[in-house]
Amino acid sequence: MSSSVNGASRLAGPARKWWRYAIVLVGLIVADRAMADPDNYVDVLRGKALTTAGDCLACHTAPGGKPFAGGLSLATPFGAIVTPNLTPDEATGIGRWSKDDFARAMHQGRRPDGSYLYPAFPYTYYTKVTRQDTDAIYDYLRTLTPVSNAVNRNTLPFPFSIRTSMLGWNALFFKPGRFVPASGHSEEFNRGAYLVEGLGHCGACHTPMNMFGANKSDQFLQGSRIDNWTAPNLTNDQQAGLGKWSVEEIVQYLKTGQTRTSIASGPMKDVVEDSTSKMPDADLKAIAVYLKEQGGSGASAPTPIAGSDPRMQVGEAVFVDVCSACHTRNGNGIEHIFPRLAGNAIVRQDDPATLVRVVLTGVRGAGTDAAPTSPAMPSFGYRLDDSQVAAVLTYIRNSWGNAASAVDADMVKALRSKVAGPAERSASQ
Amino acid sequence: MTHPDSISSRGKRSASGPARHHRGHITRRSLLASAALLMTTGVAGARVVTKVLPWDPNEAYPVVPVKPGGYFFLTSEEAAIVDAFVDRLIPADDLGPGARDAGVTTFIDRQLTGPYGGHDWLYMQGPFSATPLPSQGLQSPLTPRQQYRQGLAALEAYCKTSFGGRGFVQLSTGEQEKLLTGMEKGEVKLPNFSSRMLFSAIYSNTMEGFFADPIYGGNRDMAGWKLIGFPGTRYDYRDVMEKPNQAYLLPPVGMQGRPAWGER
Repeated sequence: MSSSVNGASRLAGPARKWWRYAIVLVGLIVADRAMADPDNYVDVLRGKALTTAGDCLACHTAPGGKPFAGGLSLATPFGAIVTPNLTPDEATGIGRWSKDDFARAMHQGRRPDGSYLYPAFPYTYYTKVTRQDTDAIYDYLRTLTPVSNAVNRNTLPFPFSIRTSMLGWNALFFKPGRFVPASGHSEEFNRGAYLVEGLGHCGACHTPMNMFGANKSDQFLQGSRIDNWTAPNLTNDQQAGLGKWSVEEIVQYLKTGQTRTSIASGPMKDVVEDSTSKMPDADLKAIAVYLKEQGGSGASAPTPIAGSDPRMQVGEAVFVDVCSACHTRNGNGIEHIFPRLAGNAIVRQDDPATLVRVVLTGVRGAGTDAAPTSPAMPSFGYRLDDSQVAAVLTYIRNSWGNAASAVDADMVKALRSKVAGPAERSASQ
Repeated sequence: MTHPDSISSRGKRSASGPARHHRGHITRRSLLASAALLMTTGVAGARVVTKVLPWDPNEAYPVVPVKPGGYFFLTSEEAAIVDAFVDRLIPADDLGPGARDAGVTTFIDRQLTGPYGGHDWLYMQGPFSATPLPSQGLQSPLTPRQQYRQGLAALEAYCKTSFGGRGFVQLSTGEQEKLLTGMEKGEVKLPNFSSRMLFSAIYSNTMEGFFADPIYGGNRDMAGWKLIGFPGTRYDYRDVMEKPNQAYLLPPVGMQGRPAWGER
């Protein structure tokens, strides 16, 4: 700063005048470039909203990195995949991509040169997005400041490193094609379907995967485990799904990160904070209407484990001493701060991973403009051993009307080795 | 919650790191570099918290549980005196075990071994008043470790002289009690040590050990808490307050739980 000022003042007479013109000229050139783009302000804004709905930011931003500049390492069952740079940088981003190139990536999972993208990029969902919408997203991404950030895009080990193998994968698991509204359903339902099945790619986390890493289409939204978190069942199933949630509660959850009795945490905290809390209410309602129409597996509720079971006895003692101060003795919690455990959908999931994780490491709830508190639960991994964590969760899962499988101490032990430690701590910051 | 002291210690650590690294061969460049680092980390140390309070997964500051067995600071002779001493202060009776059986000597030994034993966190430079007001607090250059080492030696020497060669442990309980009463009043003159200072050190440490969480080595099986009906580390009693005049029946719980939590 100071050196350039000194440098300018040292220029004498005409040279100084020239310097001034040069500054003005540079300013004009820069302004001219921006103005030379077609007048697509509306498309850009629409594209921004769609980018938010797709939560592109979440994967395409490294921890502490520039937004959309890529570099986040996604842990897939097949190895790490590092996300690419979406800014319009010519060398390291998608600056040289055309609208057609972008649409091809979204709809077919192919790069401009024809090579295959991995389905960690959810083109299996984005294929349903209209061309009009992919163009708007493209227009918005073009307005980002180019960031030079070279990303190693070939981190998968052999044989997955051979991208051509996706040809076979696509033949088996990929059904390309734009969204087709379901007849006999409301416009609102179909808007929800378009968002959930397309850009929102909710199923990428909330649908179980087969051994090839493809979502099982016959178990759509019936819950899965992602990154050692339970992605719960989003169908209208009474036992494990959203059967006890009203449309209004789902909207409130997506908008504010919480209902009266539950608070978003884990990866869904980020989804709410970065994406759904910024979506229009009408879209959130459409999503809720659509989800409430999804039939679940219809599996009947298991019989609750008897209170006389030794695990329940130990679990009750731990609950009374450690948990009940906040979640209250009858599991009702305190509205908007301490989630209700009685009747809680996460508590009743078949997979207890989120529960184990929350007790071991603690958890922070979502904070949004509407509900900025972002309440947090402290870690209890230091105080409870594996069998005590298993016992207290078994008790919570089988009390106050809840019924779910017992939690196994070995499962707690395995999860503890993955989530409780300095690595986890730094990774989440 | 991050406490103020953890913030400052974090700042201190990062500031002293580079300087320590270069110790031994400080060049002009490394001095300038570390000075620059100190300046930048100094700014980073003053964290401004906006929007939400800081929170980290797995954040906890657990105490390393004291494992009974052996002594780290006290000699076996000193430990025997402390055992006999605390057993007179809180003797076992039909209400439950006394201080000795509750592990108070182990508690005192571990406390003396740690920062408390050296008064590491206190201002320990003079001047010290010879005739302090009660409001002036601690007025001695002696750390707890020095008080125990010198005080117990003085007590033992006093006993050997005054009770025909017998040490404190060999005295009858009646003799011990009489001696303790005299020490409490400051009437007993130990050689070169204040009997009242020794008494008050052991007395307050005994109370601490008997009623502190069992994780620190004393209060074994929560004997102290059971004696006075203290419920331990539970921290919400609204349910109880809604039932006035009813007995609180839950057994006490410590940092490491209670027997109903199962074997560890």
